[in-house]
Amino acid sequence: MISEEKLKILTNGAKYDVSCSSSGSHRKNADGLGNAAAPGCCHSFTPDGRCISLLKILMSNDCIFCCKYCVNRAGEDVPRATATPEELCELVIDFYKRNYIEGLFLSSAVFVSPDHTMERLLLTVKKLRTEYNFHGYIHLKGIPHADGALCREAATYADRMSYNIELPSEHSLKLLAPQKSKESLLLPMRSLSVQKREFQLEKRKGHFLPAGQTTQMIVGASPESDGQILRLSQSLYRANGLKRVYYSAYLPVVHDSLLPERAGGQLREHRLYQADWLLRFYGFEAEEIAPADGNLSLEYDPKCAWALNHPECFPVEVNRAPLELLLRVPGIGARSAYKIMNARKYAALDFEHLSKMRVVLKRAKHFITCRGKFFGAKNESTVKLLLAGEETKRNAEQLSLFSARETALSALTGEL
Amino acid sequence: MLYRYDGTKCGFLTAFCRAFQDKAARLSSGSVQLALGETCEDVTADAALAERAEKRFLSFDGGCIRELERMLHSGAPDKDEVIFNYFRMIATKKRPVREMLAEDAVRKAEDCILRIRVEIDHMKGFLRFMETKSGAMYALCSPDNDIIDLLLRHFRARMPHFPFLIHDVSRAKAAIWDGAHCYFAPLGRAEIELSDDECAWQTLWRDYYKSVNIPSRERLKQMRGYLPVRYMKFMNEFFGH
Repeated sequence: MISEEKLKILTNGAKYDVSCSSSGSHRKNADGLGNAAAPGCCHSFTPDGRCISLLKILMSNDCIFCCKYCVNRAGEDVPRATATPEELCELVIDFYKRNYIEGLFLSSAVFVSPDHTMERLLLTVKKLRTEYNFHGYIHLKGIPHADGALCREAATYADRMSYNIELPSEHSLKLLAPQKSKESLLLPMRSLSVQKREFQLEKRKGHFLPAGQTTQMIVGASPESDGQILRLSQSLYRANGLKRVYYSAYLPVVHDSLLPERAGGQLREHRLYQADWLLRFYGFEAEEIAPADGNLSLEYDPKCAWALNHPECFPVEVNRAPLELLLRVPGIGARSAYKIMNARKYAALDFEHLSKMRVVLKRAKHFITCRGKFFGAKNESTVKLLLAGEETKRNAEQLSLFSARETALSALTGEL
Repeated sequence: MLYRYDGTKCGFLTAFCRAFQDKAARLSSGSVQLALGETCEDVTADAALAERAEKRFLSFDGGCIRELERMLHSGAPDKDEVIFNYFRMIATKKRPVREMLAEDAVRKAEDCILRIRVEIDHMKGFLRFMETKSGAMYALCSPDNDIIDLLLRHFRARMPHFPFLIHDVSRAKAAIWDGAHCYFAPLGRAEIELSDDECAWQTLWRDYYKSVNIPSRERLKQMRGYLPVRYMKFMNEFFGH
């Protein structure tokens, strides 16, 4: 059994990875332990509001790379530990059968060499699949500069793989993660995506990354704008067929003169996620959401901001508007839009129907009509005020003596 | 009139056939207060009649019997009324009605199904097994809906070689998988002897739970929104909290 101390060290090093999702894979149980369901499953929630779905752990935190922002960077004075594949496999099996986890999220610092690290990661997942007959979800981190053949083999055992793009531009990457390069992150992503397509076309037996690939970048450690970040995400979705791009607001866990002193804003991270959803599920283009050198509005969510900038598109009549336009109405999500599309086949909908169908009308009412009736504010400036007021309420919190400095400042200036 | 049935699919379909033409009909599978002047009929399940009704409903809507099976798991006090109104609407319209969300009966049925589905999803994640001395796994729960048979199906597919028991303490019943067969049995209280390693694994899990949290990003409100407090009492990471 792995020691408590080792588990704490290896978990502490892994907790800044944002992804913990176990979705996208249909792996069946082949007379062993476990399976994977496409919607994924959350097994607990931590006080920081994040879901625990997978056992998120590092194989080692003894890194030879020196990324400026990383708590495990070479030379940093932190306790170091390395787990053996057996320790990790045993931990996964015993946590899984107690229903603590849905599977494994295995990452690692680069120890000895990128190839050695990748070999150890591969050995662990291979052991889990073949010796322990484990069919639960496995998310494996790709190690930059590791041999392509190792990554390809790992992809046949893992459900999902991810290479963290770390920073949104090549310049920032050179500055803050000098041992990583754009090519060392993007090329393996691209080659896995091509190999997956070949695997699907040839209808080969077995699995090859059934849940695809994801990536993650730190926001606020470097000067890139939201517009640049969203354009990068859009190109990653299109060119490499990524399932998700995760954003992580910068947290100063180590000190370096090249890094900002203050943490990146969580509201900015939240806005980026909202914009990302607009790209993936609502038919928006990055160019519509934010200018190349501009940031997202912190005052309104990105869909609201777009709607306020395009008054010519509204109000829309819910009984006639096409799905694409309904999806662009602030407050109407994908589920509500589909509900409306179905329900209006049988009856002309009014505001009462929408409210009983649990369509949130607080924001939507300013942008829609039902049977020709409009219940929103008529004046554009009133709409802006009401929507901004609602956002402020949602992000408001009671200050305490121990509130962070920026929160206290926002109370004085009213700035979010 | 109040038509009382046994809570099964067969019982419901029999009672439905009796009650369909009665405009003031109410259905119930539990104890219910009669209205002033209201009479009551105990309906005995009739397999042949239920089979005919099922076939007829399937000809109107291929998915409605699955919805019925799901809704019968509901723990809501008004579930019989919700199911009866929904099926009365299907029988009247003679077609699927689930998309007619402007209708109260449809919305209430949809809500009922959604509540059960959400709780099943929650319990699939929040149930905690403990290893007993014999090697069998044991889990305690107290769900709002009567869903342990559905949970058993999920865990049986997941760990077919591990015998386990899921104990619903509020309904005093258990779903058991012995590695080859499923059983359902009344169970008020169970005395369990845990395996030697169990405490050590629970401690490791609690350590993991503490370590994976980022304290500087505390969002307790969000956490409680996703993980209702009523589920925490059986989750060992919250013991002592």
